[in-house]
Amino acid sequence: MKRNALFISLIVLLAMTTLLPASLVYADGHCEFADETITIGGLAPLSAPGAVAGGVAMDWAFNQAADDINADCGVEIDGVNYQIDVVTGDSEGSPERGQAVTERLIQEDEVDAMVGVYHSAVGLATMGMLEANQIPTVFSEPWNDNVSANGIREFDGAPPRFEDGIDHIFRISPASSMVGSVVVDWLLSLGVDDVVLIVENTDYGQPAAADEAARFEAAGATVSKIDVELGTEDFVPILSRIQARAEAPDVIRILVTGETSFNLTQQMSELGIAPTEDTICVTNQFAFQSDQYWATVPDGNYCAFNRVGIIPSLFSDAAVELNAKYEEAWGDIIPSFAMASYDAVYILADAMERAGSSSDAAAIVGAIEATDLELSQGRYYFDYGAHNPDLPEDTPAFMWHQWPDPIVTVMQYYEQGQSGLEAAVVYPEVYQTHGTSYIVPGTSP
Amino acid sequence: MVIQDTLFVLWLLAAGPIWAAIGMFLLPLVNKGNADKDQIPTTTLKIAGVISGFALGPLGVGLFYFEPALIRRTTLTAGIVLTVFVSSQVLVRVIDPELPSGLWLILAGPLWAALAAYFLPRQYRAVEANDQNVLTAAALGGFAIGPLIFGLMWQRTPKISRDWMIVLGSLGAWQIYTLFAIHNPANPCVASPFHVTYLTQQTANGIVIGAIYSLMAVGLTLIYSVQGIVSFAHGQLYMVGGYFSFYFLMHSSNVLSELTGAEISINPIFGIPVAAVIVFVMGAVFERFFLKPMHEGLIERVSEYAILITFGFGFFIEYTTLAIAGPFPQRTDRFIEIRRFTLQRAQITDDFAFGPINIIGDRAFAMVVGVILIFALLYFLQRTWTGRALRATSQDRQAAAVTGINPTNMNTLSFGLGSMLAAMSGAALIPIFAWVPWVGAEMVGRSYVIVVLGGLGSVPGALLGGIIVGIVEALGAGCHPDPSRGAAYKEAFALVIFALVLLLKPTGLFGREQT
Repeated sequence: MKRNALFISLIVLLAMTTLLPASLVYADGHCEFADETITIGGLAPLSAPGAVAGGVAMDWAFNQAADDINADCGVEIDGVNYQIDVVTGDSEGSPERGQAVTERLIQEDEVDAMVGVYHSAVGLATMGMLEANQIPTVFSEPWNDNVSANGIREFDGAPPRFEDGIDHIFRISPASSMVGSVVVDWLLSLGVDDVVLIVENTDYGQPAAADEAARFEAAGATVSKIDVELGTEDFVPILSRIQARAEAPDVIRILVTGETSFNLTQQMSELGIAPTEDTICVTNQFAFQSDQYWATVPDGNYCAFNRVGIIPSLFSDAAVELNAKYEEAWGDIIPSFAMASYDAVYILADAMERAGSSSDAAAIVGAIEATDLELSQGRYYFDYGAHNPDLPEDTPAFMWHQWPDPIVTVMQYYEQGQSGLEAAVVYPEVYQTHGTSYIVPGTSP
Repeated sequence: MVIQDTLFVLWLLAAGPIWAAIGMFLLPLVNKGNADKDQIPTTTLKIAGVISGFALGPLGVGLFYFEPALIRRTTLTAGIVLTVFVSSQVLVRVIDPELPSGLWLILAGPLWAALAAYFLPRQYRAVEANDQNVLTAAALGGFAIGPLIFGLMWQRTPKISRDWMIVLGSLGAWQIYTLFAIHNPANPCVASPFHVTYLTQQTANGIVIGAIYSLMAVGLTLIYSVQGIVSFAHGQLYMVGGYFSFYFLMHSSNVLSELTGAEISINPIFGIPVAAVIVFVMGAVFERFFLKPMHEGLIERVSEYAILITFGFGFFIEYTTLAIAGPFPQRTDRFIEIRRFTLQRAQITDDFAFGPINIIGDRAFAMVVGVILIFALLYFLQRTWTGRALRATSQDRQAAAVTGINPTNMNTLSFGLGSMLAAMSGAALIPIFAWVPWVGAEMVGRSYVIVVLGGLGSVPGALLGGIIVGIVEALGAGCHPDPSRGAAYKEAFALVIFALVLLLKPTGLFGREQT
C-alpha cells in the first residue's frame, strides 16, 4: 500500500514538474498561447563590413517589437494566440552573405515572414529569393529606388514595367529619390549652385548621388562627385583636393553611412572646409544619434543632416515610449531605422491577424496592402498594390508597395553637444522649429 | 582654435636650422668606434646632418644616425628627384601633348620593361654573371630607357648596385610624371601656380599619416624578424589598444572628477602607456601558451598553426570587444586643443605664392609620438643588451642560444613588444579616428604592405615604408586624373606598390636576402 502511495506521489510530482513550467510558458500571466510560434526572419548587418551599429539597433527593434506584441497576447488567429519569435540573421552588409542567410532562414528556420534590411545591396540581392519562396516581407531601411520599383507587375490593363515582378515585398523606409528631393529642394532654396557630393561606393550611395546630381543639374547647379569606399578612415588627401579649389564649394553633401561618415565629417571640419560661412555641411542621418555624433565629430557644430522619420517634436506617445526603451538599452536617441524596424514587425503581426493566417502568403500580402495602422512613425498605409494597381503617369514606379509618408526633414545643430531631439528642423518650412531655413555658422537661431 | 602661422613655429622646433645644427654635430659621431676602412668622410656626414636635420628634423637625423648606409643613396635620390621634378615642369610647358605618349610607348614603357625583364636575367645566367637585382634593374631600365638597357647590360653584364636602380627608377618616375603633366594640365598636382603648394600639402599629409602607419607596422616586423611568423591578430591588438586607452581615460576622469568635484579630463597621452602595458602582457601570455609549443617542436605544421592561432586570437579579441564595448563608435578627447596648424599664404613673387598649408593638430602630435616611439625602439634594439639579444635571435637562434641568450624568452619578448607597439599605435589614433571593434581591418592590411615594402624584419624599413605608403596614398588620391575616383582607389595605390615590390624586389627595401 505504502509502495503504491509512493508510486502515485511520484507520478503526481513528475506531472506537476512537467506541467507547471508549461502552464507558466503558455499562460504567461494573462495570455494563453498556442504551442506553435510564428517565426519572423530578420536580416541585419551584425558584423563588419556591414554597418554594425545600424544592424544591432535593428535587431534590438525586431526583438523589442516581438516582446511587446507577445506581452499583449501575441497574434490572435481564429481565437488562438500565437507568440512571435524573431530569428535575426547576420547579413554582414554583403549581398552574397545576405542571400545565404536568407536561404537558411527560409529553408531551416521556416520563417513565415521577413523584416530587414539595412543595406540596399542586400535588399536587392534577396528580393528574388523572397519572392520565389513567397515570403511576405517588410523592408524597413533600404533606400535604393529599385527595392520597391521592382514590385510593379502586370495587371489587367496595366503594362508590366519590369519583367520579374516582385509582389511580396513592401517598404516603409523612403526611396532615395524621396530623401534626395527634400535635401536638393532645400539647398536650391538657399541658392547653392556649386555642389560637391561625397558618395559611398554602394547600392545606396551611387543611385542616391545620381538622383541628387540630376536634380541639381536640372536646376543649373554644378556638381562634382567624389566616390569613397566604406571603412576608409583617412580622407585628408581628397579633402585637401577640395580645399585646393580656386573657389570654395557652396555645399558639401555627404552620402556616406556609419562611422565612415563620422570620420569624414570630423576631418572636413578640422581642416576648416565645412561648415563655414561659405560652405554648407550636409552630413548623414546618423548625426541624429547625438551622443555618437558628438563623441566622434566634436567639431561638427552647424552641420545639417537629413532626418528620416517623424521629427522629435511630433513624437507620439508610442514613439516617446519606444525612444525611452531604446535610451535605456543603448543610451542614445532611437534612430529612425530602429523605429521603422519595430513598426515592420507590428505591420506583419497586424496583417497576419487580419488575414487569419500566418502561412497564407497571398492573404497576408493582401492584408498588408490594406494596412491602416498608427505606429511609432505615424500612420501606415500603401497606396499602390494589387488593390490599386494603376499608378498615375507622374507617380514614380517605386511607389508600388511603398509607404508614401515617411517624413523627410533637414535638421541642423547649432550648439556644441546639442541633443538630436533639440536640433533645429530647418526644412521643409511646415516643420520648421526655429523659424529659419539655415543657421549660419557662428550664429544662433 | 586655429593658430595662424603656428606651422612655421612648429617647423622651427621640429626641423629647420636648430635640427640642422644638431645634425651637423651629431652625425659625425657615426664614425666613432668604426674601423678606418668603414668610416664615412666627416664632411659628407656633416652635409647629410645639415640637410636631413633642416628638412626632417629628428626624423632625418635619427634615420641617418641609425642607418648611415642610407646617406649616400638618399642624397643621390634627392638630387635626382629634384632634377626630374624641375626638368619635367619645363618639358610640360614646351612639348605638344600628343607627341610624347606615343613616342614613349614605342621607345620605352611597359613593353620594353617586359622584354628586358624576360631576356636580361637569362643572359646573365647564360654567361654565369652575378644576377642579383638584375630582374629589377632590367624592368626599371626597360621602362625608363627602352632598348638602351640592352646596350648597357647585355654584353657587359655589369654587377647591379642599388645606384643603378635609383637612377633607372627615378628616370621612369620622371617620364610618368612628365607624361601625366602633359595630359592633365589642369590637375592640381601640375597646374601652375598651385602645384607646389598642393604637392607640399599632399606630401605633408602623406608623411604625417605615414609615420603613424609605421608605428603599427614596426610591431609586425619585429614579431616576424624574431619568430618568423606573421601575426594576424595585429589589427585587433591595435584596436584593443585604443579601447584600453579609451576606458582608462573615461574611468580615471570620472574617478578624479568625483574626488575633486570638478570636471576633469585626462589627456589621451596618458592612455598610451596604459594600453602598452596591458597589451604587452596580453601578447606575452598568448605567446607563452599558444606559440611556445610551436618553437618547441610540438606542432607538426608550424606555418599553418601560426596563421590559424593568430587568426583565432584576433577573432577572439574582436568579438569580445564587440560584446563588451558595443558597435557604436567612440573617440577620446584631443591631444592638443589646436584644431589645425596653418601656414598662411605667402606671396613670394608677383606670379608665385606659397600656401596655405594645413595640418590637423592631433595628427601632427600623433606623428611626433609615433616617431619618438620608433626611435626609442631603435635605440632599444641597437644600444641595449636585451635589444641586441633580440636582434641576435632574429639572425641565428642557435648561435644566440650558444652565447647565453634564451630564445624562448626572446620570442615572448618580441611578441609582447610587437603587440605593445600595435596597441600604442591604436592609443595614439583613437583621438583621431572614430573607433569601432573592426577598426583594425583596414590598418592591418596596410601594415602588411608596409613591412613587405620596407623589408620583412627591418625596423628602419618599416618606418620608411610607412612614410612611402602614406605619401603614395596621399598623392594618388590627390593627383588621380579623375577626382571622383581618387579617394576610392586610395588603398589600391599602396597595393600597386606592394605588387611591384613583390615582383621586382621581394626582399623589400631593407630586407635580408635569404642565405
